[in-house]
Amino acid sequence: MSLLALEHLTKLFGGLAAVNDCNLTIEAGEIHALIGPNGAGKTTLINQISGALQPTKGQIHFDGHNITHIPQHQRVRLGLARTFQITNLFKSYTVLENLELAVQAHSGSSLRFWSPVHREADLTEEAEQISELLGLTLRNHTMVAQLSHGEQRQLEVGLALACKPRMLLLDEPMAGMGSEESERMVGLIANLGRSPLGPAGAGVPTGQNLTILLVEHDMDAVFRLASRISVLVYGHVIASGDPEEIRANPDVHKAYLGDEGGRHR
Amino acid sequence: MKREWLLPLVLLGLLLAFPPVASATGLEFYTGLVTKIMIFALAASSLNLILGFGGMVSFGHAAFFGVGAYTSAILTREGVTSAWVIWPTAIVLCALLALLIGAICLRTRGVYFIMITLAFAQMIYFVVISFKQYGGEDGLRARRPDFGLFELNDTTLYYLTLAVLVGTLYAMARLVNSRFGRVLQAIRENETRAAAIGYSVYHYQLVAFVIAGAVAGLAGLLMAHYTQYASPNLLAWQQSGHLMMMVILGGVGQFWGGVLGAAVLLVVEEILQGFTIFWQLGVGIILLLIVLFAPKGIAGLLRRRFGS
Repeated sequence: MSLLALEHLTKLFGGLAAVNDCNLTIEAGEIHALIGPNGAGKTTLINQISGALQPTKGQIHFDGHNITHIPQHQRVRLGLARTFQITNLFKSYTVLENLELAVQAHSGSSLRFWSPVHREADLTEEAEQISELLGLTLRNHTMVAQLSHGEQRQLEVGLALACKPRMLLLDEPMAGMGSEESERMVGLIANLGRSPLGPAGAGVPTGQNLTILLVEHDMDAVFRLASRISVLVYGHVIASGDPEEIRANPDVHKAYLGDEGGRHR
Repeated sequence: MKREWLLPLVLLGLLLAFPPVASATGLEFYTGLVTKIMIFALAASSLNLILGFGGMVSFGHAAFFGVGAYTSAILTREGVTSAWVIWPTAIVLCALLALLIGAICLRTRGVYFIMITLAFAQMIYFVVISFKQYGGEDGLRARRPDFGLFELNDTTLYYLTLAVLVGTLYAMARLVNSRFGRVLQAIRENETRAAAIGYSVYHYQLVAFVIAGAVAGLAGLLMAHYTQYASPNLLAWQQSGHLMMMVILGGVGQFWGGVLGAAVLLVVEEILQGFTIFWQLGVGIILLLIVLFAPKGIAGLLRRRFGS
């Protein structure tokens, strides 16, 4: 059974259909890449799946629940966590404080008004584990505003991971990264999901088999990581299939890949 | 931690010793002024909880302050004399009012939030002054209630206010560093991200709003005991502005911001009023200087001067 299913999802902004009758299913355990030209509606789609935006029409099913109208925080609780295309962190907090906040959201009630939270060792311990997974241990006590762009992008993923998700919505995790940083991120994502790359080794713990919806412009990364790819054009999925099929699809070439697709032949 | 509490403890000692010293030296008037400062410190601190720590710029905080005072005045007028009835009634009423107002206002953001909180406060103001049997625009005399254990005179009121202030500040210090406090501040820092990691922003803000409303109501109650009078001025928008000025002056989001702001503003007003009828101009200039040169208020200045 598919973990996430979008049925006829539509989002109108005034007269403009940012997402237009979009159907998409994502199977448990796959890394599913969503590609498409700028303005194709990829981020709008992520915003609707995560609950930041209400769809105009259509339905979203996650793990057997109809989540179309439930608020964002409840979707996170069901196991659907997201990252942001434009880095969106608690900037004046340290790396560890950022992670602790996300961990806290998923371990017990936060309607506790009396005991000092900084004495809760469990939260810190779990945050440290995630930081280690990200390779940010040395930066644990650094303020986020002072991290490099690449490190901030890693922490973006880390905050989603701290929510103990079953599925990650990654909105351009490599945005603005250099090749070395991108490589790290590819390794991290490959590890979190069941990617064709397999466990990346190099001291990173083995794969967690998360289902991942990956929106990304870096075609190199997409074709290395994804087990399935869908192509979004003008808010509509024009093709869905494994990387070979997408590479061979003439519609996709016309609409999107163009010369770039040629590189992967 | 220890050092941080040293100064407040010294101050507490001085406050405890103040009334006998003042009366021995014939300066009883100042016991009243200090009582008033402590009441406003309580009200301003409650505003600072939502404004400073929660990022909710409420321009209607006087509503709770005033309703607390009026509850006391109206109940005593209706023959209820026991403080053990009046206090819980006033606090619960203000909490419920904050729940209602907050539930609606917190659906908006930014300027709209400021305007709608102001609108609610004005609505309450006009409702209250329309009750002619409760004094209308003239306000209402508020007899001091009966505590049973002690008689409420100027001196016991002073100590009662001090005890309430110390207790509330301690609870607030715990709250700010608790799980809830951490979430509240995280929401102020980045609301979208807080929602994306699974916090129901609306509900956390609403809980904080209710707590702040209840504490402001408590301050209003003490104010009615202090002046023995519930004035419509306590409910007016100028009062909301006054509390906001205290918070800005003392330090938005600084733990001691409300206390410092109330103390400095009331003392400065007292001094300037002695010199000139244009005292508000002086207050305005001081506020302007603080906003321009010390965005974290007096608490921020002190912190910078004396370290953490």
